[in-house]
Amino acid sequence: MRYRTIYLPMAEAAAGMTLAAPLNVSRQGLQRFSLPQGHVLTEDNLSQMAANYAEFIFIAEPDGRSDEQVAIDMARVAHRVMEIFAGADFNDPILLALFDQILTYRNA
Amino acid sequence: MRVTPITKTEVISRSSELPSLPLIVAEILATLDDPECNIHDLCSYIVHDPVIAARVLSQANRAAYRSRSTVRDIYTAASLIGFTQIREISLLSSMAMFVNCSFQRTSNNYWKHSVAVGVCAQEVALHISAPIFSEMALVGGLLHDIGQLWLNRFCPEEFAATIEFALAYSVGIEEAEREQFGVDHAQIGAWLAENWQLPASIVAAIRCHHRPELALNELLVPVVSIAEVFTNALDIGAPVENRVTRLSSAACTVLGLKVDDSIQPLLGRMEARSAYANTIFCRDVD
Repeated sequence: MRYRTIYLPMAEAAAGMTLAAPLNVSRQGLQRFSLPQGHVLTEDNLSQMAANYAEFIFIAEPDGRSDEQVAIDMARVAHRVMEIFAGADFNDPILLALFDQILTYRNA
Repeated sequence: MRVTPITKTEVISRSSELPSLPLIVAEILATLDDPECNIHDLCSYIVHDPVIAARVLSQANRAAYRSRSTVRDIYTAASLIGFTQIREISLLSSMAMFVNCSFQRTSNNYWKHSVAVGVCAQEVALHISAPIFSEMALVGGLLHDIGQLWLNRFCPEEFAATIEFALAYSVGIEEAEREQFGVDHAQIGAWLAENWQLPASIVAAIRCHHRPELALNELLVPVVSIAEVFTNALDIGAPVENRVTRLSSAACTVLGLKVDDSIQPLLGRMEARSAYANTIFCRDVD
């Protein structure tokens, strides 16, 4: 199955969601709580995260789109990113790198 | 170009027609590294400001939702969500009201962009573990384009034409402004910030956010500059006007920021936090 990664505020998190990246919650310079990538959240996890003031989590959610819809969405994304970078000089390596990272992020 | 270029004297003179910057902004910034400062002083102020108080209680009740209890007083809210969040909510709420009162034709897109750059500046600083107070990054981001509001209020037709030109010819807005007005919004914003007696680092961040090479020794400058580029690249705030024409490699180098796969989580946090902040604080701006 294909998955998409999204960032959610804690209020929208629910048990059963899967972490797309390791979660490390720090407060005042001390690590309070951590969970590994791929962990499936439980109600206990959510309570612990709330108690440690976790604000956002990176979630992997199933991508139910058809291959055709994925292709349409990718084309739309590419068009918009090209529009934003219309005045950019891609001979500049750092601008090209940012362009690539934005496209990767949008298509994740 | 406009017949006479805009001068500092004109900017300061006309800004006297605007309300004063909220006192709480200067007070929070002045006490960031004051060990004597305590949360009770700030709470005592908030109790008398119904808009900020409502925001603080709302945020505290979001944090408390899993305990199924209701937070009803500012001091309990403060202990639940902490000093840093209280300061941030106070800054965002007071700045939203200031912008709304000062520049009545402020578009929602302007404020969304400013909130996004403020939040993204905080995330950039966190990502590279920069020794910058997050409140400074937030205020620097919120005010970085304040010069555009001044132009929109006092030179509306010429400013609108400048934006159209910049979009039509894919040039940076600041280049188009210098062509039209002899000065760009970054310089105008810096003059305003100096007049409001904001910290020198914020003045520099506003002045140099399009040309961070001019002041790389002041860390807040590359932080706000990069935050704005990333905000535009992520298409947050002003969908029609978002453009990326430049990213300072010197700014990235001085911060130790590598533009590679390691910024993917940073982009996610920037987008999520900006969207969240905008759902809460854009209701204060019509």
